[in-house]
Amino acid sequence: MTGQESLLGDIRILDLTGESGVYCTKLLADLGADVLRIEPPGGHPMRNKGPFVHDAVDPEKSLYWFHFNTSKRGITLDLENADGREIFKKLVKTADVLVETFHPGYLDKIGIGYSVLKTINPNLVHTAITPFGQTGPYRDFLGPDIVAQAMGGLMFLAGFPEDPPYKLGCSQAYHSASVHAAAGTMIALYARDDIGMGQFVDVSLQESVLMSLETAMQHYDMRKEIRQRIGREEPVVPGIGLYPCKDGYVFSYVVAGFGAGWDEIIRWLDNEGMAGDLKDEKWNEVWETITNYKQLVALGNNPAKLMAMLEQFYHISGILKAFLATRTKQQIFDEAAERRIMINPVQNAKDLVESPQLNALEFFSTVEHPELGMTLKYPGAPYYHISDTPWRISRRAPLSGEHNTEIYEKELGLTREELLILKNEGAI
Amino acid sequence: MTDRKLPFAGIRVCDFSWFAASPVATKLLADHGAEVIKMESSSHPDGIRLSNPKTPGLEDVSFNASGWFNNMNTSKLCMGLNLANPRAREVYDRLIMVSDIVIENFSPRVKDRMGLNYEDYAKIKPDLIWIDQPMQGLKGPHRNRAGFGAVITPLGGLSHLSGYPHRHPIGTGTNYTDYVINPGHLAIAIIGALRRRRKTGKGQHIVMAQVASAAAILETAVLDYTVNDRIQERTGNRTSDAAPHGCYPCKGEDRECTVMTSLGPAASKKNNRWCVIAVTTDEQWNSFCHVLGNPPWTKEDKFSTLLARKQNEDELDAMVGDWTKSRTPEDIMMTLQHAGVPAGVVQDAEDILVHDPQLRSRGYYVYLDHCETGNSAYDGFAFKLSETPGVLSRPAPRIGEHTEHVCKNILGMTEDEIDMLVVEEVLEIG
Repeated sequence: MTGQESLLGDIRILDLTGESGVYCTKLLADLGADVLRIEPPGGHPMRNKGPFVHDAVDPEKSLYWFHFNTSKRGITLDLENADGREIFKKLVKTADVLVETFHPGYLDKIGIGYSVLKTINPNLVHTAITPFGQTGPYRDFLGPDIVAQAMGGLMFLAGFPEDPPYKLGCSQAYHSASVHAAAGTMIALYARDDIGMGQFVDVSLQESVLMSLETAMQHYDMRKEIRQRIGREEPVVPGIGLYPCKDGYVFSYVVAGFGAGWDEIIRWLDNEGMAGDLKDEKWNEVWETITNYKQLVALGNNPAKLMAMLEQFYHISGILKAFLATRTKQQIFDEAAERRIMINPVQNAKDLVESPQLNALEFFSTVEHPELGMTLKYPGAPYYHISDTPWRISRRAPLSGEHNTEIYEKELGLTREELLILKNEGAI
Repeated sequence: MTDRKLPFAGIRVCDFSWFAASPVATKLLADHGAEVIKMESSSHPDGIRLSNPKTPGLEDVSFNASGWFNNMNTSKLCMGLNLANPRAREVYDRLIMVSDIVIENFSPRVKDRMGLNYEDYAKIKPDLIWIDQPMQGLKGPHRNRAGFGAVITPLGGLSHLSGYPHRHPIGTGTNYTDYVINPGHLAIAIIGALRRRRKTGKGQHIVMAQVASAAAILETAVLDYTVNDRIQERTGNRTSDAAPHGCYPCKGEDRECTVMTSLGPAASKKNNRWCVIAVTTDEQWNSFCHVLGNPPWTKEDKFSTLLARKQNEDELDAMVGDWTKSRTPEDIMMTLQHAGVPAGVVQDAEDILVHDPQLRSRGYYVYLDHCETGNSAYDGFAFKLSETPGVLSRPAPRIGEHTEHVCKNILGMTEDEIDMLVVEEVLEIG
């Protein structure tokens, strides 16, 4: 891999992100950008977030830190300190991008807001990720992931009607905002070559999840219908929904016209002597309805017809359910795949790591951690192939202050004495 | 700001993609100035065109009235081309040769049948940026498995990690990865490739397996397994470093509305009201207690520290819920936020589209006049660019709306040629 060109090798990024934006800079770092992860002296609070390597609580062993800071270099710098800010301004001169997640107005207050930074470097792209954006009546509100998922409407759609709504796992407002921020940053970098200047990219966590409402907004706009959470333990339409199996769950998505349909499922069940009465002609009307996408969509607008068919639906679904309960998710996956039936396992981390498909795509990367004497296996490229400029983890996450010498002495030309003074006053 | 041209003006995209993940990526390019040309026909439309919601009265009669489709296809052109007709290739081959970007998200089986192989075209036009975005990739044992966003969420690992630990992992409410995660990951790579091409003149082949993109957003789930042998489980609304951290019942409103149930639309009261509260520091806990009027229970040892609150979280949540249930979620959010405690309304689409003063102030939703759906709302931008902001330059195209424009002005066909292909049902004018 060494010597290979990277997609963003000419881009220097200053990284002042917390949890809501750290995936943005990881994404760009793994695509080759030179990301300088700036931490306050003593280390970023993210280092205290678990889980830790072998559960040993230690700021140099946080898997959270490891995961989100791959391919970055690390320096310490106190922006609350005047000398620290002067150094920061020097770094801004040669940077292409700044990504930060401070409260709106914080950087302005300490004298290094965008209005100042752009006079130092007009080419700078300043990307700011905040809960509600830089403007508007809620701009000062606090918004951890769950608040953004709630205010963005995503939670209202997730869960069972009999339970409170739930947030999506793994901080999806943070991930969505980070992906939007990276896309916006890329557009700004592309535009920079035309317009000859950088710009400010204002990303809102709340707005970041709105596109994921799918059709909820349009249902209201076009029809004044409010979409809400409709999770059920039993699917309504047979073959479309979740089924328990021997060692977990499978998600069935036998939708008309895509992959094999019910005739193939019946053959499968029949081979195993478990098709029950599904070969009977009395189901013909049901098959006609659920194996035609147009009719299926129309059924969504016709509650009376749906209610009339419900008992038959449950009967058919029950037969499939009884069959799937006799098998493991891997068995189901393999057998369904052979028949081109869209039934897939609900995979956990172990399933993913063992997945023949993800391994064939070389999804996992091994990364050396010499200090730990370990090689760790990381989840890998969201892109498995970019022909000339591949995605790769170029280095493990930085240790606290690991590249201070490299940056402060070699690049900025500070002397040992100056560094010592800065260190003593707590600036670095 | 001024009359600046959009960043991707002059970039042409030959867009074979359909359904969601790839069209959302090309929407981003189109809304920032790229000329994105979709290809579909009435006999083989983009499947989302069939899907609800549709303008009342047009449910069964139109391909152009789906709010789902329209929202994902703003600013694009549509050439009516029947891709199932073997002669379609004559047309799309010509379009590919005058395009900068080609994108498809068919299953590899279909892609191969259509002859859409990067290598063949790159030989003739090496500066093409070519994107394949199949479900499972172009290699590996499951390469030919078709699928949808609905399938990717369970398969990619997010369903297992969403919801309450004692309940089935029914997933994310929508086909979540289709709308930001997969199209966003892809757009970042495409723009990077465009930048590089402008500097080097070189094209690039990007293949994105949707299942891999979805498995990349699981925080520490994979590392925790590979390093600690631990399989992370879903934790509902709870998190290890904050408490209370959850979703609590609120007072409803006594007015009628229509809600979507699993059995279709139904009349209801607007009483499905919830708030979230996230107390992430000791300081916030003190403020929270103060807002509640410091009732005795908040002073008990079992709630005095984060550790204690985590150990007694069921009881804590019950006490918090007792306080929230007689208040509206808006009232709770405003009161707590003003006291410095993170809180929010679990908003529904009506709240978001009509009432939310923040989104209105920022002008997030954009209204466009569409020939069949009338004045309709569209998603705007979750990132605001100060100098080159995107624009929804037109509503989604009707099938074949731009056939003549594309054939004449871009492909240089004569009227006769076009007429012939229309008669032969290769082209369709809409």
